[in-house]
Amino acid sequence: MNYLIIGASSGLGRELSYTFAKNKNNLIICARDIRDLKALKSDIENKFKIEVNALEVDITSKESIEKNLLKNQELLKEIDGILFPIGMMFENDEVGLDIEKINQLMHANFSSIAFIASSFISYKNKGIIVGFGSVSGYLGRELNPYYAASKRALESYFETIAFQNKKNQINIQFYTLGYLETNLSFGKKIILPKGSVKKLSQIVYKNKNIKFKKYFFPFWWRLIIFVIKIIPFSIILKSSSFLK
Amino acid sequence: MKDNYFKQIRLKSFDGSYSSDIFLKKPDKYRDIEKFSKDSQNLITMGSNYSYAPLSFYRESVVLDLKKFNRILNFNNKKKEITVEAGMKIFELLNFTLNYNLWIPQLPGYPYISLGGAVATNAHGKSCGTHGTIRKSIKKILLFHKNHGWLNLSNEENKEIFDLTVGGLGLTGTIVSITFNLKEFNFTEFLIIKNKIYSIEDSVKNLKIQNEENTFIYSWNIADDSKNFGKGYIFKIIPKKNGEKISKIENLKTNNFKIPVCLWNRFTIKILNKIYIKFLDLQKKETNEKFLNVIFPFVGKESYFKLFGPRGFIESQLLVPNNILGDFLGEIKNLCKIHKPLITLFSFKIISGEQTLLRFEGDGVCITFDFINNKENHEFLKEIDQLCIRYNVLPSISKDSRINKNIFDKCYTEAEIFREKLIKFDKNRVYQSEISNRLKI
Repeated sequence: MNYLIIGASSGLGRELSYTFAKNKNNLIICARDIRDLKALKSDIENKFKIEVNALEVDITSKESIEKNLLKNQELLKEIDGILFPIGMMFENDEVGLDIEKINQLMHANFSSIAFIASSFISYKNKGIIVGFGSVSGYLGRELNPYYAASKRALESYFETIAFQNKKNQINIQFYTLGYLETNLSFGKKIILPKGSVKKLSQIVYKNKNIKFKKYFFPFWWRLIIFVIKIIPFSIILKSSSFLK
Repeated sequence: MKDNYFKQIRLKSFDGSYSSDIFLKKPDKYRDIEKFSKDSQNLITMGSNYSYAPLSFYRESVVLDLKKFNRILNFNNKKKEITVEAGMKIFELLNFTLNYNLWIPQLPGYPYISLGGAVATNAHGKSCGTHGTIRKSIKKILLFHKNHGWLNLSNEENKEIFDLTVGGLGLTGTIVSITFNLKEFNFTEFLIIKNKIYSIEDSVKNLKIQNEENTFIYSWNIADDSKNFGKGYIFKIIPKKNGEKISKIENLKTNNFKIPVCLWNRFTIKILNKIYIKFLDLQKKETNEKFLNVIFPFVGKESYFKLFGPRGFIESQLLVPNNILGDFLGEIKNLCKIHKPLITLFSFKIISGEQTLLRFEGDGVCITFDFINNKENHEFLKEIDQLCIRYNVLPSISKDSRINKNIFDKCYTEAEIFREKLIKFDKNRVYQSEISNRLKI
C-alpha cells in the first residue's frame, strides 16, 4: 500500500511515517523543508526497506501544491490513502491578525487539505483520508482564534466528505486532538497530561480500515468537549477567564 | 526568551557536581536549529547529558537538545560509511550497523550516549590501545554555527575547525551530523580471560604484555587496602563467533529512584570489593560473555552511581605517559597511604594516540578512579593535580569537574592554542558551557 503523508517532517507526521513504514507501506512524504524530508526518507528506507518519495510542498501555497504534488497524477493514482497530520499556528494569532497571516492559517489548516482531499476523491473510489482537528475548534476563545476557526472548518469538511462517500470504498476518519508531546506544546504548562504521538499513530494505523471514525485523543477530551457542548454559551462566556 | 518553544528546567551533571536552571529547546526540524540558534545570545548543544562534567549546559543558558536528530542520513555498505545525525545514540547506530557486520570500535561504556557527544569529547572505548579514539573513525562533520551558518568539516574542508570540533566540547557550534568510517565486526560474543594480579606494578606489566590487536584489555583493582593496593583482575577480551545474531539493544527505561544519602563508605567499599574479588576467584578463568555485557558494562549497573547519593561522585581519569608510569604510580600509592581516600573504582587500560588541543589522547596508560565526593577526597585530589603537573600527566576534563584553569593550562600544553583558534573562528564566543567558563576557554 502507498500512503501520502502531508506534514511528515515533524511531530505526529513523522511518527505516522514510521508507523506506516514499519508495517511495510510505501510512503510519499510532504513538507516545506526538503532537508527534513531527505533525512526522514533516508532513515526510513535504510531501516524498513520500503520506498519513500519526498516532495517539497508548501501547504500554504496553492501553486506549490499544484506544481509539486497534484500535477504528478501518476503518483496520485498509486496512493491508497492520505493523512493530514498538519497544523500551523502563529504566536500572535489573535483577533486583528494580518489578512495574509489569516490566509496562511486557513490554507494550511483547512483549504489546502480540502483541496488535496477533493483531488484524491476525484481520482479514486477506494482508500482512506485521515484528518486531524483540534479541541480548540469546539469553542472560539481569545487565544488562537483563526487556528481554532480553521480547525472547526476542517471538521465540518470531513463530516461533509463522510456523507458524500458513505456508499463508496473511501474511509473517512477524523481525529480531534488535545495537547500532544510535540514542539507545539513543548514547555507549555498544561494541567492535563499530553498525548503520546507514538500511541496516536498506532491507533490511526489500527483504525485505517474503519469506514468512518471520529476519535478524540487523548480520550478525556471527549468528556470535556461533551460538557462544553451542553453548557449554554452565555455561561461559558461568563467564565471566560477560566477558559483562557 | 523571544519565543515560546522552550522549557525552563533544572539540569544536573552526571557526576552530581553541578546543577543549574536552563532554557531547554528541542529542535525537530533543520530550520528550528537555525531559528533557535539565531534567537539566542549564548547557547550550547546537548546530546544525552551523560558527560560526567557539565559540558552541555551552564547557568541560565539556552540548551539545544538534539534528541530528535537521530536519523540515518546515508549508508554505503560497500564503502563502509554511514552518515548519521548527531542526536543518534550509540545503541541506535549499533542496532543498524551490526546487521551488516560493521561497527565503530571506539565505543564509550554506555549505549545511551549520543554520537554528537562522543565526538565532542573524542570518546575512547575499551580498545583505545589498538583502535585509538573516536577521532580515527570520523570522516566528516556537518556543523551549524549561529554566525557562520552550515559548515562541512573534514580533513579536506575547513580542517582547522574540524580539528577544533573533534574533542572540542561542543564549543565550535552544533554538531548536526557525522560521517563515520565503519570497521568490519564479524563476531557475536566475547571470550573473557581473567588473570589475577597482586599489585599495580603487576597490573601494568600484564596490560602491556597482553595488549594485542583486536583484543580489549583492562583491569579492575582494589584501593581500599594499603597492603594489597592494586590487587585485582586483568580482563582480556577476545571477540568470537557463536553463530547467533547479536540481540538488539533496547532503549533505556528511565528509573528516577534516588537514594537520599551516600551509601559508599570505608566499610561498604571493603565489603563489596571482597565479595566481588571472591566472586571472580570462584569463576572459571575463561568465560563467554554477550556483546552488550562486554561493550556496555554499566548497563543494568546504574545503581552503582545512585549509591553515591545526592552529592554525587568524582571521577578522575588520568593519562599517564609510559616513561614515567612507574614513578607516578609509586607517588599515588604513597599518597593513598597518607590520605586514605575513599575509592570505589580503580582501573587501568592502555590508550594510544596523539595529544593535541583539548583531546584526552596520547600514548600511555589510562587510570580511572571514582571517589566519594567529600572534603578528604578533594584534598587527596589536589595532591594528584600537583602530581599531574609535575609528571606531565593529562587529567580528563570531561570526567573530572573539579579541574580548574590553572591545572588545565599546565597539563594541556595546547590549551592556549585552542583558545586562540576558537576566538579567531568565533569572536563572540557564542557556544558556552559550565566547563568553558570554568576553564576560561
